[in-house]
Amino acid sequence: MFINSLEKTGARDTVERFSVAIEKLGPIMAAVLMIPSVLLLGAAAAASGFALARGEQHSIFFEAARYFLLVIPVVGIVGPLLLPAADRTNPVRLLLLPIPRRTLYVAQSSSAFGDVWVLLMLPVVLFLPVGLIAGGALAAAMLSLAGGVLLVAIVVGLSSLSASLLHLVVRNRRRGELLALLFIMILPAVSMLPGLLHGRRQLQHLEGGPPPAAARAPEWVLNATSRAFALYPSELYVRSVRSAAFGEASTAGAGLVALAATGLLLHGVGLFVFAKVLDSPGSTGTRRAAPTRAAWGRRLPGLSPGASAVALAHLRLALRTPRGRSIMITPLLMVGIFSFVMRRPASGFNVELFAGQSGLSLAAFGSFICLMAILPIAMNQFAVDGAGLTMALLSPLTDREYLTGKAVGNGLIAAPPAMLAIVISFLLLPGGSLALWVAIPLALLAIYFLVAPVAAIFSALFPRTVDLNSIGRGSNAHGLSGLLGMLSYVAAAAPCVLIMLLTSGWLRRPSLAPLLLLGWCGITYLVGWLLFIPARRIFARRRENLAMLL
Amino acid sequence: MQGDLAVQTTGLTRNFGNFRAVDGIDLAVPSGSFYGFLGPNGAGKSTTIKCLTGLLRPTAGSIRILGTNPLADPVSVKRRIGVVPEDLALFDRLTAEETLAFVAEVHGIETATAKQRSEDLLELMDLKSASTTLVTDFSHGMRKKLSLAAALLPAPRLLFLDEPFEGIDAVASRQIKDLLLSFISRGGTIFLTSHILEIVERMSTHIGVIAHGKLVAQGRIDELRAGAGSGKTLEELFIELVGGEARVHALDWI
Repeated sequence: MFINSLEKTGARDTVERFSVAIEKLGPIMAAVLMIPSVLLLGAAAAASGFALARGEQHSIFFEAARYFLLVIPVVGIVGPLLLPAADRTNPVRLLLLPIPRRTLYVAQSSSAFGDVWVLLMLPVVLFLPVGLIAGGALAAAMLSLAGGVLLVAIVVGLSSLSASLLHLVVRNRRRGELLALLFIMILPAVSMLPGLLHGRRQLQHLEGGPPPAAARAPEWVLNATSRAFALYPSELYVRSVRSAAFGEASTAGAGLVALAATGLLLHGVGLFVFAKVLDSPGSTGTRRAAPTRAAWGRRLPGLSPGASAVALAHLRLALRTPRGRSIMITPLLMVGIFSFVMRRPASGFNVELFAGQSGLSLAAFGSFICLMAILPIAMNQFAVDGAGLTMALLSPLTDREYLTGKAVGNGLIAAPPAMLAIVISFLLLPGGSLALWVAIPLALLAIYFLVAPVAAIFSALFPRTVDLNSIGRGSNAHGLSGLLGMLSYVAAAAPCVLIMLLTSGWLRRPSLAPLLLLGWCGITYLVGWLLFIPARRIFARRRENLAMLL
Repeated sequence: MQGDLAVQTTGLTRNFGNFRAVDGIDLAVPSGSFYGFLGPNGAGKSTTIKCLTGLLRPTAGSIRILGTNPLADPVSVKRRIGVVPEDLALFDRLTAEETLAFVAEVHGIETATAKQRSEDLLELMDLKSASTTLVTDFSHGMRKKLSLAAALLPAPRLLFLDEPFEGIDAVASRQIKDLLLSFISRGGTIFLTSHILEIVERMSTHIGVIAHGKLVAQGRIDELRAGAGSGKTLEELFIELVGGEARVHALDWI
């Protein structure tokens, strides 16, 4: 498969063929890995159908299928938002073809069958009736199949509606960028909320306080929640299947009618929103201005004018794209939430790299995450410029100036959030040796000295055309480059962690840490400087490929 | 500099795998000339420009730009040329002013001088009101004008323009034409590719015609026309040189 991928890339040289082949192999590998999952789900669904037909109302297989299906409609809504919008067909272009709008809607909705979550739910809803038939419940199997088809139609409708709404929102680029940024920032924060709330409940419980908030909710709220949950599509499906298996035809029928009504409503609204998408012309949004004073006379000290210009252009790219902003903000948000959770002693959550010094541990961990967050830009530092890369290649810049500018630019993107992560940790969780606090920035510097030339090498070897406006994969560096980049970060961090642990733990002389790390910084600077020699050579050899990338 | 040639190539060849995009061409672009480089789609025009401006390395042959070998000393050559590539090389997330500041910095132009030149160029290109707008919000025409402004800012001696009039409205096109003629009158050299033969005919002093990677004609425009027969337009001469013929006779059903 790999050799075939290499053969069919049509790329210009071996490195590029390898790079393209790796990118192509990703989805193929995912599809191959999905086959056992599909088989497993199908078998579990058949087993649950069989158990149901034999009168087991709450078999483990049926409950597993129920919880699995519970997640699918939510993923059906969120999925299209997570996938890069650019990967989806622009339906307005299809209007140029003599195809009725309803047909276009059906075509757009059908594309949801390519989504992983829909593919994974298919074996469940198809094999559950098989199990029922095997158990001798033929009528229940037919009803279950009908329910399954309706559930699939609902999930497809949800995905389609979500995609159309996204199209409407991102039609205005500025609005789309704002949405992307909010989404990138909110998602990790929301994912951490359960832990936060759990910690709060535990604390209240330990302090002998009142019972958790959920238990104190008014009765009518609980009733309304329960009734609303009963109308949730997968729950409607589960109820109608269970009722059909136990011969309660009217309950099963009511469930099916509710599913059909939900499906009709969703596709009706979906068609309406899709028509709105087709009717609304593309808009680029309002023009954005940047402050004039920043344009002239800004030169970074210690750099040549050319290198300084490259570094500032790189920083501006990060500051003005959703992905770039998220790289700078999201890790900080996470550090803030971690600090908040860790301040609560009973939260049960702690990062203890240095015994009894959770603030220091969080500062070290958080700032390292901030440094590593620049992977998507640092590991694709040339191609992220898009057409600007050609401008840089046409400019009278030496390779040394260009690569230095890029390295400093990446450093400028990572440094403020990393420093802020340390400050936030210090303010919220103070304590521990001051020498260790001072040692953390030195460790970061040492890591960066080693990683900067490596990032330049991988960026030159595996460039990838990206859109930093997109949320997901569309703005990531090349898969191999990202992976190797992550490994190089970890490898570069290992000596620093060892020095910190050695001085604070085994030697019990934390004051030695900054001194040793200062020395290590000197060594890594020298090693980094030496590594930039092959980096420049590789870049010079790859100039042409980079120029042809766009 | 050899003679007074701004651009000189000998046997310039560029292969992509087994495909030969540029096949041993010998260009001779006199200093101070307006050189129109013509050819049908896929003839090798853009590849030639990319070789001349250092984006691509030639497979064979030699190049001299303003008397210097760009492969041996690319930075020195790039300091003296301006390029408007076909795909408009601009940083999307810089403003027009920041773009010009970037160009000024990489060329080592003093800030006050660069600022003055920038103001002049933005005024001339009618981009003054959009000077603090991000390039990503520019129309195609605005990008083209900014790209030209960026190419002119360092006051180059030689301009490479790849399809500079494509997607430009009539008013802007006129402004750019005047600007380019003024550039020539002050001793500059222009190497231009365009599909708009009328513009090339009106502005160029010299032309080169490339077809299937080979240079099929080169010289002063009036001399070439005279050689081809009296009263021939550039379009007729071009079609004759590249071997194209009108092929509409078969489509009776249109």
